[in-house]
Amino acid sequence: MSDKSTQSPAGRASGAPFYRLRLFVAGDEPNSVQARHVLTRLCEAHLGGRCAIEIVDVCEDFHAAIEHGIYLVPALKVESPPPARTIVGSLSDEAKVLHALGIAGKGVEP
Amino acid sequence: MSKDRREPNELVERLAQAEAALDALRRGEVDLVVGPDALRVVRLKPLVEENERLAREWRTTFDAVKDAIFVLDADQRILRCNRAAEKLFERPGEELLGKHCWEIVHGTAEPIPECPILRMRQSLQRETMDLSIGDRWFEVEVDPILDAKNRLTGAVNIISDITERKKAEKERAVLHEQLQQAQKLESIGRLAGGVAHDFNNILSVILGYGDILLGKLHQQDPMRDEVREIVTAGRRAEALIRQLLAFSRKQTLQPQVLDLNEQVRNLEKMLRRLIGEDIALDLALAEDLPPVLFDPGQLDQVIINLAVNSRDAMPKGGKLLIETSAVELDKAYAAAHTGASPGEYVLLAVTDTGCGMDKETAEKIFEPFFTTKEKGKGTGLGLSTVYGIVKQSGGNIWVYSEPGKGTTFKIYLPQTEEKQKTREKIVASQEISGGEHILVVEDEESVRNLIKSALTRLGYSVTLAANGGEALLLVEEKGLKPDLVITDVVMPNMGGKELIDRLRRTYPGLGALFMSGYTDNAIVHHGVLDQDTPFIQKPFTLQELGRKVHEVLASKPS
Ligand SMILES: Nc1ncnc2c1ncn2[C@@H]1O[C@H](COP(=O)(O)OP(=O)(O)O)[C@@H](O)[C@H]1O
Ligand SMILES: [Mg+2]
Repeated sequence: MSDKSTQSPAGRASGAPFYRLRLFVAGDEPNSVQARHVLTRLCEAHLGGRCAIEIVDVCEDFHAAIEHGIYLVPALKVESPPPARTIVGSLSDEAKVLHALGIAGKGVEP
Repeated sequence: MSKDRREPNELVERLAQAEAALDALRRGEVDLVVGPDALRVVRLKPLVEENERLAREWRTTFDAVKDAIFVLDADQRILRCNRAAEKLFERPGEELLGKHCWEIVHGTAEPIPECPILRMRQSLQRETMDLSIGDRWFEVEVDPILDAKNRLTGAVNIISDITERKKAEKERAVLHEQLQQAQKLESIGRLAGGVAHDFNNILSVILGYGDILLGKLHQQDPMRDEVREIVTAGRRAEALIRQLLAFSRKQTLQPQVLDLNEQVRNLEKMLRRLIGEDIALDLALAEDLPPVLFDPGQLDQVIINLAVNSRDAMPKGGKLLIETSAVELDKAYAAAHTGASPGEYVLLAVTDTGCGMDKETAEKIFEPFFTTKEKGKGTGLGLSTVYGIVKQSGGNIWVYSEPGKGTTFKIYLPQTEEKQKTREKIVASQEISGGEHILVVEDEESVRNLIKSALTRLGYSVTLAANGGEALLLVEEKGLKPDLVITDVVMPNMGGKELIDRLRRTYPGLGALFMSGYTDNAIVHHGVLDQDTPFIQKPFTLQELGRKVHEVLASKPS
């Protein structure tokens, strides 16, 4: 865990990127609720507020999902920094999410 | 070049995405699938959970079923089996899975020809078969598993233990057979009894007048031989009729409280003589045997008949065992034996080490005139007599036999509460008449006249009445005062016993002698004469009649 904290946004504050995230959810379905929770917590812990999260409820805005090429919900789309990527599911595997965000990255793997 | 290199990368990327998506789906982390033109709200996670719950439920149910179940693939390999199957075939599930069902169920290298699955492949419907494994019976039931196009993809194979049912079926069949046997004997008995009754009266007349004729013919008369032939033939017919009457349970019995052991011991000497030296006689008599109510003369006949049959079954010698014991028959026994009822019995068993008999023979032995013996050796009436006597006395008889091994007859007689009476010795009497007055009540005219001529010859004065009403008229209205009334037991309107009871209101100490060759069922049921009642069985010789009449008159308190 100490590894992680050295790479935390606070550690390299100046070069840290700004994250634009779009979370597609389906109302209050259980996986969607969980994804929202996890994302909020991760942002607070690791991104220190350097992020803009837009939450799209697909049940209300179906076309938004299609426009973004989202076919399974919940899904998290990382729009920037590039490359754009999508994580499908309830985000329960936090390590994987951080990896996708390029945060825990290679520091954890070896 | 760079484009060429990029394309595979993009493909890998897309495949990775698809895999991740599938993964999320599998884990049940997806709430919704977005289709091209509509939302498909798939609550996948609950679905997964529901699936798991159903799977658990199904497994528990599967294992809870007491019948063994195999789920088979199209090649009859076991895909799944429940706990009952593991238990039945005494192997853990892992050892059963993947094996062909015939290997496990029949232990064969290929399906057995009667395999219901072979039939099911054709019919695509449930097929069944009964199967015995060891000493148990099973019903095998197979149901096809079909795909959407009605093609066979497997089968469900259920194996249920039906041993109890098979056993019950067999018991029912045995009971049914017993019942039919009993009914057959019953109807033969009725027929025989009816004929015997009429025959008896006719014989009484033939024998009676034969005797009278002999008495009248001079000692040197050449006709004596011919008349004696008539009488002898009549006696043979009489013996036959007696047996038929016994079989049809229409003898008049005079049951007494008897000790079966004593009865057997009294017979022992004569039995030894009967069976000869090559056959050993063993008695195994239980101590403290409860008494039974039985006609002693008939009991002797039963034992002798059985012993004679055993002797005939052991021409080269052997062993004859007569046993007695007190037994209690329970409900289960009664349920399995037609005609038996639960209770306390005395068992008389006669066992020999003779030739025995097969089932077909054993089924017929109680029928009159059934014999396997050559002409002149057997009449086929021995066992039918035994059967009739035992049944009429409220008992039951069963035969157990094995060809080549031997035979056991078991006779169950109900125990009695009554105490044994010490039998009074009958004083030897001289048949000299003191000119007493006798009223003879008999509905058959020829018999009536015969008795009159016989008694008159002995010096008695005789009045005749054709029925009970006539007798009452003579006594109550005309003031007739007989010393003795001889009456038939069975007569139309008023039976003999009723008549005597009536007459004794007028003359309390009135002597009575009952005669009968036949009693109908009603009489057998409750009218069996009690053991002290003077009785003479028709047909009788004139000497017998004379002796009996004298005996009754002599014992009469005057
Ligand atoms: N103890 C026995 N062992 C073998 N067979 C027997 C025995 N008792 C009776 N049977 C069979 O039953 C038949 C009928 O017996 P029964 O009624 O006494 O007539 P019978 O002795 O005149 O033949 C016999 O012919 C014989 O076949
Ligand atoms: Mg016989």
